[in-house]
Amino acid sequence: MNRLGFLAREALINLRRNLLVVMGAVLAVFISLALAFGALVVNQLLKINTLAWQDGVHIIAFLHDEGLAGIPNGAHQALVAEVTSWDEVANVFYVDKAAAWAEYQQIFADRPDYLNIDPSVLPASARIELTNIDLYRDVQFRLASESQLIRRVETFGEQIEQLSSLSTVLNLLGLGLALVLGISAVILIANTIRMAIYARRDEVAIMKLVGASNWFVRIPFVLEGMIEGLIGAGLAVATVWVAFRNLRTLGDSIEIVSFAVPDRFFLTWSIVILLFGATAGVLGSVLGLSRYLKDEDGSRPISAGARVLEPL
Amino acid sequence: MIRLREVTKVYEGGVVAVRDVNLDIQKGAFVFLVGPSGSGKSTLIRLLLRQDTVTRGTIWVAGKDITQLPAWKVPFLRRSVGTVFQDFKLLPNKTVGENVAFALEVLGKPRSVIGPQVQQVLELVGLKDKGDRYPRQLSGGEQQRVSIARAFVNRPPILLCDEPTGNLDPATSVGIMRLLDRINRSGTTVAMATHDHAIVDAMQRRVVQLEDGRIIRDQQSGRYETEHVVEVDGSVAQ
Repeated sequence: MNRLGFLAREALINLRRNLLVVMGAVLAVFISLALAFGALVVNQLLKINTLAWQDGVHIIAFLHDEGLAGIPNGAHQALVAEVTSWDEVANVFYVDKAAAWAEYQQIFADRPDYLNIDPSVLPASARIELTNIDLYRDVQFRLASESQLIRRVETFGEQIEQLSSLSTVLNLLGLGLALVLGISAVILIANTIRMAIYARRDEVAIMKLVGASNWFVRIPFVLEGMIEGLIGAGLAVATVWVAFRNLRTLGDSIEIVSFAVPDRFFLTWSIVILLFGATAGVLGSVLGLSRYLKDEDGSRPISAGARVLEPL
Repeated sequence: MIRLREVTKVYEGGVVAVRDVNLDIQKGAFVFLVGPSGSGKSTLIRLLLRQDTVTRGTIWVAGKDITQLPAWKVPFLRRSVGTVFQDFKLLPNKTVGENVAFALEVLGKPRSVIGPQVQQVLELVGLKDKGDRYPRQLSGGEQQRVSIARAFVNRPPILLCDEPTGNLDPATSVGIMRLLDRINRSGTTVAMATHDHAIVDAMQRRVVQLEDGRIIRDQQSGRYETEHVVEVDGSVAQ
């Protein structure tokens, strides 16, 4: 216990002595992990929103009015019944002209100038939910065969597809960015550790001279890297939390986008990010020490005034 | 306590620092290693500490062949051998007390042991009131006393000193030698490399003289130089 305390103290002294270099390493970890965590949150947001869209109406078929252009009364209901029977379709809601007008009034409630229209111009529609969003092209194609009855078909499949591919691209970008920045953070920590070893070369030589084992010499440096990684990761987690909380408050006024990323998601990934930061720190330290990790072969003297680094 | 047999050390580039050295140092002895710069004194000290490995030959320290010692066991060897150097090798950002305690902390000794042991050894070297000072606040002689205190704090059976008075004036050197003598009288084997004539002559202890890496004289109660040494066909006679 006493030994552990001594090693931890040595690590903290290391950190204090190389404050500027340490700050550089901490910043590198912070930036890389904040970007990685941010990308994860954005990806989760996209997922939540595309899922919300996927759960809703996927296709709207706007219909010509019955009783006009040779369209008999009851044609709309017949179409709804037929489409409902298709395997690709989960549900069909029929919105008649009156309901369309009511919906229109609701949407533009705050724009009275938009309400000065003839309600009869609004068409009835069939709102279709698919069993699988990927089938939207098949359904669109089948509806086209009812061209006499259908005025226009709107699908959200393309938008959902675009969102999905955007999510994939963002995911890959975030992953790539996190990887590159993660590697650079590890290298920077390795560099910090090397500089710390160089700054403490006399101390290291003396420690070995009085019989400190190689691991006893190495542990403070490993702890130092771990602390740097943890501080960087902690800052990244805190920044993303704060940024997202502000975004969520801001996003409350935007109804079409959901910012409801669950706290559980944040908590889980915060732990992962912290662990990653600590691991990156340890990895950087081990990398920094690697040149000096070899056990002593006794080939380098700690002579008076020697400025040669002994292998740790 | 220390035994060297046919020890040779050749550095890169073919420089022979020590050649075919045979030497026995008994427990509790005080031995001066003398000779001009480059004669192999410091190399011998480094070989005894396993800071260097022999090219040929065998070295036993406290009954163990240290030339065969695996690297991970070297720290254990060094824990039983105290070292004192010309440049003191003190940590400038640690106080006197912390410098001395450092040797015990790396061994994992509990604080309850470290505190009293450090006080005791500081008293021995005459620095009990200067435990809170930093090395820069001490004279050269006092710094060397701290270095000796650190080397001796865990009571090693062997003390190796490489030019411990090299940076000190004669009066201060006498104080340091008195201290080393006192440590030696407590049973610790002391081997000291030096080219300080006055000290060697005054102490009248065993003298091992090196030249070009060879032992050319091994004399009990000797002086730094002797006019009796005559080299005949590469052999040494008195």
